[in-house]
Amino acid sequence: METVVGELTYQQRLEALHALKLEQAREKREVIGPRDADEQGLILPPPEVREVVEAISGSGEVVRDVIIKTFKPKSNHPSGGFFGPKATGENFRRLLEVHPTYIQPLNSMAGVYMVNFNSYRQPGWNPDFDYSHLHEEQQKYKLVHGIGGLQHFCPDLTIGLELGWGGLLEKVRHYREVNPQAADFYDGLEEVILGIQGWIHRHAEEARRMGETEERPQLRKNLETIADVCERLVTDPPQTFREACQWLVFFQAAAKMYNGSGEWGQLDELLRPYYERDTAAGLLTDEEAIFHIACLLLSETAYIQLGGPDAEGHDLTSPASFLVLEAIHRLKIPANIAIRVGDDLGPHLFRRGVEILFEDRIGFPKFLGDQSVNEGFIKNGYPLELARQRIYSGCHWLAIPGREYTLNDIVKIDFAAVFDVALREMMADATVTPGVEELWRRFEKHLRRAVEVIAEGLDFHLEHMHEVFPELYLDLFCYGPVEKGLDATHGGVEYYNLCCDGSSLATVADSFVALEQRVEREGRLSWQEMMYYLETDWAGPEGERARLMMRNLPRFGSGGSRADEWAVRISQTFTRLVKQNPTPQGFNMIPGLFSWAKVVDFGKALGATPNGRYAYAPVSHGPNPDPGFNNGKGGTPTQMAVAVAAVQPGYGNTAPLQLDLDPGLVRSEEGVAKIEALLQGYFDMGGTLVNINVLNKEQILEAHKDPSKYPDLIVRVTGFSAYFANLSEELRQVVVDRMVAGE
Amino acid sequence: MAHHVSRITDHTGTIFDIERFAIHDGPGIRTTVFLKGCPLHCLWCHNPEGISRQPQLVFTPLRCIGCGHCLVVCPQGAHQLLDGRHLIDRERCRACGACAEGCYAGALELAGRQVTVAEVLEEVLRDRAFYETSGGGMTLSGGEPLAQYSFTRALLQAAQAEGVHTALDTSGFAPWRRLEGLLGYVDLVLYDVKHMDCERHMALTGVSNERILDNLRRLDGAGQPIWIRIPLIPGQNDEDANYHALGQFLAGLKHVERIEILRYHRLAESKYANIGWVYPLQGLKPPTEERAESRRRILLSYGLSQTIVG
Repeated sequence: METVVGELTYQQRLEALHALKLEQAREKREVIGPRDADEQGLILPPPEVREVVEAISGSGEVVRDVIIKTFKPKSNHPSGGFFGPKATGENFRRLLEVHPTYIQPLNSMAGVYMVNFNSYRQPGWNPDFDYSHLHEEQQKYKLVHGIGGLQHFCPDLTIGLELGWGGLLEKVRHYREVNPQAADFYDGLEEVILGIQGWIHRHAEEARRMGETEERPQLRKNLETIADVCERLVTDPPQTFREACQWLVFFQAAAKMYNGSGEWGQLDELLRPYYERDTAAGLLTDEEAIFHIACLLLSETAYIQLGGPDAEGHDLTSPASFLVLEAIHRLKIPANIAIRVGDDLGPHLFRRGVEILFEDRIGFPKFLGDQSVNEGFIKNGYPLELARQRIYSGCHWLAIPGREYTLNDIVKIDFAAVFDVALREMMADATVTPGVEELWRRFEKHLRRAVEVIAEGLDFHLEHMHEVFPELYLDLFCYGPVEKGLDATHGGVEYYNLCCDGSSLATVADSFVALEQRVEREGRLSWQEMMYYLETDWAGPEGERARLMMRNLPRFGSGGSRADEWAVRISQTFTRLVKQNPTPQGFNMIPGLFSWAKVVDFGKALGATPNGRYAYAPVSHGPNPDPGFNNGKGGTPTQMAVAVAAVQPGYGNTAPLQLDLDPGLVRSEEGVAKIEALLQGYFDMGGTLVNINVLNKEQILEAHKDPSKYPDLIVRVTGFSAYFANLSEELRQVVVDRMVAGE
Repeated sequence: MAHHVSRITDHTGTIFDIERFAIHDGPGIRTTVFLKGCPLHCLWCHNPEGISRQPQLVFTPLRCIGCGHCLVVCPQGAHQLLDGRHLIDRERCRACGACAEGCYAGALELAGRQVTVAEVLEEVLRDRAFYETSGGGMTLSGGEPLAQYSFTRALLQAAQAEGVHTALDTSGFAPWRRLEGLLGYVDLVLYDVKHMDCERHMALTGVSNERILDNLRRLDGAGQPIWIRIPLIPGQNDEDANYHALGQFLAGLKHVERIEILRYHRLAESKYANIGWVYPLQGLKPPTEERAESRRRILLSYGLSQTIVG
């Protein structure tokens, strides 16, 4: 790998680090098993201290996870768990004290996280805070209710970059005097900071030790610099570009460790001042900057927005924006980067983004429509200047850095589960003649109730979360929590706009139209026969024929069809229901349409549906049409775009369009321009976000049969990016089905 | 035969497909409308279901679930299930569509349906936002649009009235007056040139190329913007002599904005069996990139710098 005399180039170092990353991904797959979520920066703890357990993820999923078995948290509750800011902060600090350091001599950045603090929280919720009065309806509608949901809002990292950990500690100690009633909260914050400072300091020591015994001059120098940088960052704010990147690495590793948080936000703007200063002083070349950014991006697949407007509407695109793109372009690992697109926003960045999308084929970048998200957010009663500051910082979501608590992408209402309740209720009611409008009436009634139950749950969360597992870490990077002594979940920040997503739109729209057309209008099936086929999961040749008959209709996505009308009706009704009232405690909710990775889980909990779906098969994803809607064939990109644009809730949260495109579409500059035009047209029609895969059909089919043959195949699953080989077979199947519909 | 129709949008015609996000049929993002019926019968035709003007039954065996419904409803008894295989007697089939209507598996479909201009336009206009962002529009193709002259003319007029850019993809095999009559409504003509030698052209397509080349000269003389499309079929029309003849001919035209060499591919092969036809070019391998590039160089040598390999 290296020569005895020469030094390694940045490219060689990146290649070695990339290979290492693949190896670490493979190891994770072996030990933890498939994981239907973002590829993460986490690497496995050393074998002698690791243990595989079942835990709850930051999104409320039951997952397998790896913990460091030598760490046992201290309980402060009879249940055996630990709750509240003081115990949380103390335990986090104790975890950091035993958490291994990680320094790779080729890497200019130190630090990686190896465990999820949340996996030690058993039980996750304090049983003293009882919400059993909501259980029945939460279970009835199979709601992902969000109580106990973690992070999913955006910190403002300029706070940390300006103060450094020492400055943050001073700030906490200052405000402790102002708010003596919040002593426990400030205890927790201090413990967190002290824990991090200790952890960073251990990296400095370790790097120093490694440097002393390192024989290769290039690597020794690197290790010495790492040691110096880490030592300074224990207390001081970063001064150089490299230090800023290293600060962001530690920030992110600890954020993920604490509760799964994963956003850098407007990364190009965060790095720009350091880049400009250092290059002007002749201290930094672009090549070196790209290398440091690449090492930063290697450490975590955090969510990033590039470009976009400042509050006054001026374009934030800068040379730093292109450097970030270039870094991932060279690295070719999973990345969650969105380019914000609009009239007055960097056309060259847009162009470069599309080029890279088709050249690298790793599902990045994604594209966000500036105008449509701004116009939507304003409808909540906010000024345009504020809307512009709402930054893409998650799978399908935006938040105002440091000032807005959103609990994005956690709360989900599965329309198909609500539909199922309505259908069964109608069929069990002997006093009523079954009919589509009657079914709709009940669907709307139950959907309204589901939204109400969600709203009550959110109030409960906002009331008690701070006493269970407060957002201590992100609190440090917000405006308000430290100053007021209030957790972000409990009134610490200025804006509360709680995200409430619907999912399985196509499954329900197609079900309504199938019933309307085949049962009501054509009379080919009676309602009772329909229910029989659902109960028996379309069994037998008669059942299969009936199933195909229900599917073989113009479906949502085909354009101008009844199914398209139903989809719009469902989306508009859902939007109205979410927006018409705040929660009982007065918090605003914003509707979106997104399923994250839950298409498989929602499907497993649901029997057969009238759109011809088999029992327990995955449901449709977010606002997207079901694959094969085009008379059994795959939908064209413009059909998909027109269909999804028509169902946007339009209040600033997104309903992302998921496109899976063939690489052959772009063979030239002209092709790139056409894809740009496709995206721009979608945004002009009100579309908000586009997630795109550029994948070769044959390759994905082969990879599905034997994932180990393509260990570096990266796919944009829904909003997140992952190694295909690390997904469960079911979720892989969902991606494959999208791509090969109708074949 | 056109009868008097009071409004442009009421004109009817037979189409077999409307393809959205067509990015190889002219500039920008387009919607391509495929008209059924063609006077030519090219050996390599990628849309064989567009050649006959009449509706045809298309059978996709992979989708058949063997439910036997088609056997029951077919008035001609054209369907058979033999040893688990579904066979169709094409002699008996009248393409009435009864079997296709009841085939929920989507294995049986009728290629070719009657539509009004209004219906076509409604679908075309759905992608209007993309035409605007990309400089795209509507392309008429097929089959041969000129074979349904009044329908083609009405479609072009209606699209133009809506501000949609129009392109006409044609073989040019029709009386000149038909092309002339459309000039006011066509922003761009996509014109195929299959072979410069008249006899070879006849063998490959079933018709002579004299009128085709003559019409092309006249189009050019009328100032019509043109893109030339040259299908590259190995062993059939890819010889040097043909390309030199093409180079000479095209160099004499003034309004050819682009020349596309279209490499033969085999993606359409299964369509032939699906309509009960034998594929004429069995086993033909697509041309390599190098071969296509060498053809392009011949044209470049005639100063035709607007030549690309598509």
